[in-house]
Amino acid sequence: MIFVMLLRLLKKGAEADIYLTIWNDRKSILKIRKRKEYRNEILDNRIRTLRTVREAKMMSEVKTFGVSTPIVFFVDQNKFKIYLQFIPGMLVRDLPNKLIINTCEKIGKIVGTLHKNGIMHGDLTTSNFILGSDELIILDFGLAQRTEKIEDHAIDLRLFKEVLNSAHVEIVNQAWLSFLRGYGKIVGASRKEKIISQVLVIEKRGRYANVV
Amino acid sequence: MICLGIESTAHTFSCAIIEKRGKNGKILSDIRKIYRPPEGEGIHPREASRHHAENSPQVLSECLNKADVKITDLDMVSYAAGPGLGPCLRIGAVVARSLSSYYGIPVYPVNHALGHIELGKMLTGAKDPLVLLVSGGHTMILAFLGKKWRVFGETLDITLGQLLDQIGRHAGFASPCGSKIEELASKSSSYEYLPYVVKGNDVSFSGLLSATKRIIPKGLEAACFSLQETAFSMIGEAVERALSFTGKKEFLVVGGVAANKRLSEIFQSICKRHNCKFFVSPKEYSGDCGSQISWVGLLESSKKAGAKLENTFVRQSWRLDTVEILY
Repeated sequence: MIFVMLLRLLKKGAEADIYLTIWNDRKSILKIRKRKEYRNEILDNRIRTLRTVREAKMMSEVKTFGVSTPIVFFVDQNKFKIYLQFIPGMLVRDLPNKLIINTCEKIGKIVGTLHKNGIMHGDLTTSNFILGSDELIILDFGLAQRTEKIEDHAIDLRLFKEVLNSAHVEIVNQAWLSFLRGYGKIVGASRKEKIISQVLVIEKRGRYANVV
Repeated sequence: MICLGIESTAHTFSCAIIEKRGKNGKILSDIRKIYRPPEGEGIHPREASRHHAENSPQVLSECLNKADVKITDLDMVSYAAGPGLGPCLRIGAVVARSLSSYYGIPVYPVNHALGHIELGKMLTGAKDPLVLLVSGGHTMILAFLGKKWRVFGETLDITLGQLLDQIGRHAGFASPCGSKIEELASKSSSYEYLPYVVKGNDVSFSGLLSATKRIIPKGLEAACFSLQETAFSMIGEAVERALSFTGKKEFLVVGGVAANKRLSEIFQSICKRHNCKFFVSPKEYSGDCGSQISWVGLLESSKKAGAKLENTFVRQSWRLDTVEILY
């Protein structure tokens, strides 16, 4: 029998290394949260365990209310490993500007659905969404939390706005409006307004914010 | 071009003279006087500004002497117009305006935070870095894109410098307390759990502050150690996220807290992992100084004329990401 072990490093992310591999004959993504040499070991182990478990649980849970995420094949908590379904497609970050603007409405709908079901994502960037052949898929639930608080949901939106503001400067306004349109369709106008005004409150709390 | 830079945003009053030839700058002198509040207390803006006012003539003349430059040799003067403490900023602005109007020298109001970055770039030779600005006034991760420094992550409440200072003052040290905390932390290796709060690319230190105060009675050294490990790891993670998102191949740390050795160690390890060149501004120039103000003034003067006297403002809350970079 010829056994071919396929393991190719796709990306060294901030928190985890992402490999392309095979899991039970299926093309799979292996996400390993490796030990960070610079982080105190006790702290490091706690963070890695917490996030590995949380990510796997959340990824499966959000499917129950129709949010598309990769399938979790297998979790090895002691080695901080998660095997996930491989999704072909492009990161939203790398799409042409016009398509990003359109996709932001879909992102808004996904985020709205998460919030409506009491989950904040915690790391909403344009590189955590893949535009697949049929659907938009959301990734990376390591920082996700179960919460209904307006403040927490507003933090999600603020982060996304910050990312548009820094990495997608030319289209920030259109993309943000498109996001809010999608978000509002799911959570409703009054909840949307509440969250947006809380985003402004958070921004004012920031250092040297333009407080009028 | 010879420029006098005046810094007076917080506890430091400093004058520095830099000579710019082509793209290179040479620091001819950099003189500082630092206001020291009593132990256990923070900066009192009025007392700090009194300190600056009383010391400004001496700092200025020492700066000119050391550089061997006469006021009439100066091509321009720049001052830190913000962000900072209003009463302190006004002292620097008054000195700059007086020199400008009496001697007819062009005057440039410049952004203090931009000064940290530009001086750091000049001294280290970094070309297109991701920048972490960590000081008493800032905790920001920035990259340059389309004429402005864009914020990729920042603190949602207090800064790293404030966190260290507030813990230090709580324990009865004199501000700034960073080096004292570093010293105590190096004597311990017992880690106590403290809140670790990273929200996307942003960090929040307020919960960490309260929690650290609570564990101080159990042992100051362990508290300092745990505080540094937790806070620095949080910043480390935020930096890693920004590096991986932007794909920058250079990383530069500037600002007062950049002097911390443990923090540098963490960044060295991160940069190695991300194949990225690591730069840290030299200890002598990482804190607030006149050189950072002088250098930005010189850079700006290559593209625009000095400000009219009526436009020589001070702005306490002047965010770096609103400054348009012309040079």
